[in-house]
Amino acid sequence: MRTGVFFCQVENGKNLNIDAIAKYSANLPGVEIVQILGVKPHLDAKLLSEIIMTNKLNRLVIAGDMPGYYKPVFTKAMLLAEQNTDEVRLASFQEHGVRGEYALDRAKAIIACANMAVPFSLVASPKRNPVSHATLVIGAGIAGIQASLEIANAGKHVYLVEQTGTIGGHMAMFDKTFPTLDCAACILTPKMVSAGQHEMIHLLTKSRVSEVSGKPGAYRVKIHQHARYVDVDACVACNICADVCPVKVESEFDSRISLRKAIYIPFPQAVPNSYLVDPENCTYILSEGQKCGACVKKCPKECINLNETDKDIDIEVGNIIIATGYELLDVGKIEQYGYGKYPNVLTSLEFERLTNASGSTGGRIVTKTRQINKKTGADEWIFSPEGAPPRNVAIIHCVGSRNKNYNAYCSRVCCMYSLKFAHLIKEKIPNVNCYEFYIDMRAFGKGYEEFAERIKHEGTFVVRGHSTNVEMKGEQLIVRGEDILNDKMVEFYVDMVILAVGLIPAKGTDYLSRILGIARDPDGWFSELDYNGNPTDTERGGIYVAGMCQGPKDIPDTVAQASAVAAGVLGSISSGKGIGHLSSVTLSEIESRAKIIHTL
Amino acid sequence: MAIRINPTLIDELNSFGAEDVQLCYHCGDCSAVCQHSGEIFNFPRKSMRRLQMGLEQKIETTFEPWLCYYCGQCSTQCPREADPGESMMSLRRWLISRYDFTGIARQFFRSKLVEVLSIIGVAILTGLFLVIYGFSGGNLQIYDGEGAFLPSTFIHKFDLLIGSVMAIFLLINAIRMWYFTMIKGVDFNIPWWYWLKNIFTLPLHFFTQKRYAECESKNKSGIFMPWLIHLGLMLGYAIMLVLVMVYIEELQYGPDIIWKVHIFGYLASIGLIIGTVYFIRNRLIKSKYVQYKKSHDTDWVFVCLLFLIVLTGIAQHILHRTGIPYWANIIYVIHLMCVVPWLLRMPFSKWAHLVYRPLAMYFAAVYTDAKEKQEVISGSYAISVK
Repeated sequence: MRTGVFFCQVENGKNLNIDAIAKYSANLPGVEIVQILGVKPHLDAKLLSEIIMTNKLNRLVIAGDMPGYYKPVFTKAMLLAEQNTDEVRLASFQEHGVRGEYALDRAKAIIACANMAVPFSLVASPKRNPVSHATLVIGAGIAGIQASLEIANAGKHVYLVEQTGTIGGHMAMFDKTFPTLDCAACILTPKMVSAGQHEMIHLLTKSRVSEVSGKPGAYRVKIHQHARYVDVDACVACNICADVCPVKVESEFDSRISLRKAIYIPFPQAVPNSYLVDPENCTYILSEGQKCGACVKKCPKECINLNETDKDIDIEVGNIIIATGYELLDVGKIEQYGYGKYPNVLTSLEFERLTNASGSTGGRIVTKTRQINKKTGADEWIFSPEGAPPRNVAIIHCVGSRNKNYNAYCSRVCCMYSLKFAHLIKEKIPNVNCYEFYIDMRAFGKGYEEFAERIKHEGTFVVRGHSTNVEMKGEQLIVRGEDILNDKMVEFYVDMVILAVGLIPAKGTDYLSRILGIARDPDGWFSELDYNGNPTDTERGGIYVAGMCQGPKDIPDTVAQASAVAAGVLGSISSGKGIGHLSSVTLSEIESRAKIIHTL
Repeated sequence: MAIRINPTLIDELNSFGAEDVQLCYHCGDCSAVCQHSGEIFNFPRKSMRRLQMGLEQKIETTFEPWLCYYCGQCSTQCPREADPGESMMSLRRWLISRYDFTGIARQFFRSKLVEVLSIIGVAILTGLFLVIYGFSGGNLQIYDGEGAFLPSTFIHKFDLLIGSVMAIFLLINAIRMWYFTMIKGVDFNIPWWYWLKNIFTLPLHFFTQKRYAECESKNKSGIFMPWLIHLGLMLGYAIMLVLVMVYIEELQYGPDIIWKVHIFGYLASIGLIIGTVYFIRNRLIKSKYVQYKKSHDTDWVFVCLLFLIVLTGIAQHILHRTGIPYWANIIYVIHLMCVVPWLLRMPFSKWAHLVYRPLAMYFAAVYTDAKEKQEVISGSYAISVK
């Protein structure tokens, strides 16, 4: 066979040394010509056919991140050169996970296989290690809980690690889910409770993974558990400690729109249903035992110990599931929306807490009221249940999403939750005017388009045109934009602006990717092995991704992916074949195996 | 009426500087942020759409691009980096080439070579003519008065000749602009008194460029620097043009300084020198103002040639006053070698915006009045039908 190897990249792989790979492939048996065509080349089938004819090639290998993209041109060139079009072989870097530290060898192996017309997956089977039956799940949002329950229900041990004081994640903050408008808590809390009570699930709240070593199938993980200062088993959540606590801070669970004490429970349905102390704000802990300590004296169960210390837990697990989720983009840096400057400009999560029946206003949608801070004498804007309901509300889509200056990608859920907001506002305040400013309405799921239509029929004004200007004239917020379908500039006087803020990976994603050795996308999300074929597996064997941490997705997709991950984990445990990591196979081993198959 | 589309329009605009129009996904951020976009004139998003769709006739018959002063906020905000500000700028270049009936402007904008060669060609011809004329009756050692190398009476006639050629071209182009925008582009009746009523906008916008100042009304410092500098440059230029066309004989008189004439010349020179240096500097260092980040070849020719003219003009003036008529004459020839191609280029280049912009403001005012009346009529009609 006379082979020509052509390198065509779709994206500029910065970390990949194409020249080195080209040099290697030039020395492969049968390779006559190697050409690097660069990133997004404009290919001409006629020129290629001339190359094929002058070099008398009868096999082509297209190498690159997505070579299938260019296959039609090469096939045409082969036709023009009157060669067998079946001999256009693809060496796809993306499909076979060329990234991370083994990228170079992996790419070479893929090309070597393509050159011998041997499927890469046939020869690239790693050495398999026996699997420890316990599983570690990092992050206890809906994805983590779902995956844990699936595995635990199959009778395997699960360590569920959560950074905050309760499991539940972002879903616990929501009021309703789209498109069915089911109560989010009604779906989530039963799952939370069964996760909390399950005998096979070991719940580790206030914890983070600090060290990972070992190999696939037998990872040794060190977990650092922060002191909770309250005995989880003894606490009955009677709230006496919080009543006497003098320290007030913004509640993280309530998106900082309400206050909590330094000893607190994030929300009444928290699991574990126990109070915890915020050591950064507790007077006793900050003064090293000199002041306060009121809660300890009052606690009827004597379960508060403010001198508790952090501890480290060592576990061995066979599989690790990452489900660390997301957070909102810091919208304060997009100045034109006036977030942080004008009181009634809210992020989506803030509104979600405002409209939630367990929120600080008891689910009443109100505008902020001015209050004078007793200590500092400065003006403060707070949500009070007695506040005036808004009469006009603007909801702005795509804030920081699909924007090359911030997030180039679509956050996928904003269109739908914005429509849901419009519905909730209309439901609670009958005479309200709701304006949705959107660029494209992405109602892509089952029942979503119908939901969007329903919201439009409910009388929400849906304006095609994105507004960037939120201004304040006196006490009045003005939203200026272009109504594109109506060919008019519009100015709406509104009382409240809700920003559908784009999503970014959670804070610890970078840290986790480093200690676990998992690559991340250019956007920061964890990268899966293959987006189509293996959306839950990662480059490292025995480590999986589930939910938002892999990329923006809605709750149904998150739950589905979490269950899929559980299937993978259980498969690896019960098949008895063990799991391995492709890095355990060297380039020469792959080459020799391919040669054997090739000669067969 | 069916609208003809030109699918290659977007490629054509590429050579005028608009490279990223195709990236636009029509979010409307640019129109929302623009100070000048309003009920009746709504841009730049709409222009981007027209470009993408190749609606050549629609673009040709609108003067919306002239209402944009390119503050660059749209380009800063654009989530797609489609650069709407630069697209509007390119549309203005394209419109200049459209208003020009000779087709010369089009060649200038599309080819750097044609532009530079034509300037050099005209400069050499001018130089040859002046040198031959000078030596035929004058003395290189005498700058002014009896036996001067280039007598001021001759220069006066020469200026008027060049000036009238330029004015004729410009007038025809301006009439074409009026025809395109106000006859072809308007499908309702405009009462004649609206033209009278709004005539004041013409000098108002010409002398103040107040819309440019409004560009950054949100800016806390209050004064928008590019506007101020641009105004200085423009006023300096206008004064200089009047001096050269009317008072050239007094201007060239010397070596004494005639303050009542020369003081205007000095003020104009200051405005011109500050303006050209400021714009060259901003274009070189790509300053914080977005509008200077991309420079078309014609922009460079514009500022550099003007800078050269101002420099040589000042130099010959100083040399004449300091008693070096020999060098003053040589520099004067070089000065005129720059001035003549500059003046002849005026109707075909970026320079023409001096005329088109105030005209567009005038047209816009008339159009707005008529449109509002039109809407009142059609609105009342609709009600009476009910």
